[in-house]
Amino acid sequence: MLSSTSGHDSLESAGAAGPVLRFENVHLAFDGLAVLRGVSFIARRGETKVLLGEAASGKTLLLKLALGLQRPDSGAVWVLGQPVSDLPESRLFALRRHIGMVFQESALFDSLSVRENVAYRLREEHELTEDTIEQRVRRALSFVELEEAIDKMPGELSGGMKRRVAIARALSSEPEVMLYDSPTGGLDPITSTTIMELIIKLRDENNVTSLLVTHRLQDAYLLATHVWDTQNRRLRAAAPERSHTSFLLLREGKVWFDGDGHQLMNSGDDYVKTFME
Amino acid sequence: MTPEAEFNLGGVVKEQLLELQEFTLLLWRGFRNIFQRPFYFDDTLRQMDVIGVGSLPIVILTGFFTGAVMALQLSATLAAYGQVERTGELVAISLVRELGPVLASLMVAGRNASGMASELGSMVVTEQIDAMRALGTDPIKKLVTPRLVATLIMNFFLAIIADIFGVIGGWIYAVLGIGLDSRQFWSSAFYALDFRDLVQGLTKPVVFGIIVAAVGCYFGLRARGGTEGVGRATTQAVVAASLLIIMSDFVISRVLITFIGQLH
Repeated sequence: MLSSTSGHDSLESAGAAGPVLRFENVHLAFDGLAVLRGVSFIARRGETKVLLGEAASGKTLLLKLALGLQRPDSGAVWVLGQPVSDLPESRLFALRRHIGMVFQESALFDSLSVRENVAYRLREEHELTEDTIEQRVRRALSFVELEEAIDKMPGELSGGMKRRVAIARALSSEPEVMLYDSPTGGLDPITSTTIMELIIKLRDENNVTSLLVTHRLQDAYLLATHVWDTQNRRLRAAAPERSHTSFLLLREGKVWFDGDGHQLMNSGDDYVKTFME
Repeated sequence: MTPEAEFNLGGVVKEQLLELQEFTLLLWRGFRNIFQRPFYFDDTLRQMDVIGVGSLPIVILTGFFTGAVMALQLSATLAAYGQVERTGELVAISLVRELGPVLASLMVAGRNASGMASELGSMVVTEQIDAMRALGTDPIKKLVTPRLVATLIMNFFLAIIADIFGVIGGWIYAVLGIGLDSRQFWSSAFYALDFRDLVQGLTKPVVFGIIVAAVGCYFGLRARGGTEGVGRATTQAVVAASLLIIMSDFVISRVLITFIGQLH
């Protein structure tokens, strides 16, 4: 089992007092066109926040802001107690080692094998021995049930396998925060369920805080209504309040809805109802 | 000029200045990283192999045939003045001062500025650069600095190789084509070169190497819009690098002549 507690003492103590992720009145425009217009929300430790919204509503942008790949025009983004929106790039590189991101198209390095992709961050840290790196790589790959693909190149993998390697790569440094950008986009329903199962397993076994962008409502329902059964090693149905999952719906650059699964399903708002249909 | 046209001109100038600023910033960060940890020696060595060893055949062929055609053309002109024995001298001077560094660098630009732009451009459009940043790595340190260092070093040696094979090409034509004596060709070539020729011939490829790598990486990293954007970045990189090499050749020559004196 992957642990999310090693080697992050300074950031944990900073982030333990408050929410792990905090967006405060974030504005961002491109070429004069406002994409985010005062977005505020928080995510607590162990919580998975599902980001919903129409295409181009700024969902992916929220992930990039959390990672410091984009900077807001105004407002603030805090991750693990650090002001991501104000940190210089050199300090962001250190903070990003505590955050894992799974990109929409996996973004595996074409020229590196699966082993080298998953080991990438561990090698960059220059602190671990080759044996430890190999163990961590195999552990991350076994978590996504893809250990047999360790010597393959990304070009030899299917879309679903690439997505699982991307999750393993993000997991290799045992991050406290995971960001998923449409992790099931373009995948068949069976592979999508496998990916969602991994995300739920990570949420419930490792207490990782996550932001997850998705267009598939069935993924959102699965997250809200299932937990990982550690005894039987499979998903089981559970009440939404036990799933540590909440939902955030973006509309026209603003937060239209922010609440748990019960509130989402029972919302009387016309836009929320239209969106959920 | 209409107000609208004036406005557009202002916009274009501003855009070009911004691009120049971005380019200068990339170059500065690329060089600054040479002295900052972590050092990517393996990546630099790999790039030296790709850029240096990979470009060797085209640089040898370019140098060889340039030298041969120089001997062919110059010997005919020199014969009219009864100076055909000075063919070696003119071939050596032309190659070491100008043609060796410029043509080798143009070849390196055609092969490697395009390669860098397409490789980095593909990484941008497939989010691999963002992934690299997300994994805690500075892409300029990991990708740009090794390419800058590798091209700078290898272009220096490639230009020397182009010079050597150019003189060999000129010598073979001079001996076989116009019947010159080998010893006469080599002694005239050797004694014609002085310190100032070497300073020019060895300074230029270093500057041209920086141009090739910086331009290739710059256009690659600013590629947008999928595969079409990568193709556009590749073309722009080759054109810009080639033009900058030819333009900076004049500037370097002028500056060096000012500092080390007029050449014979």
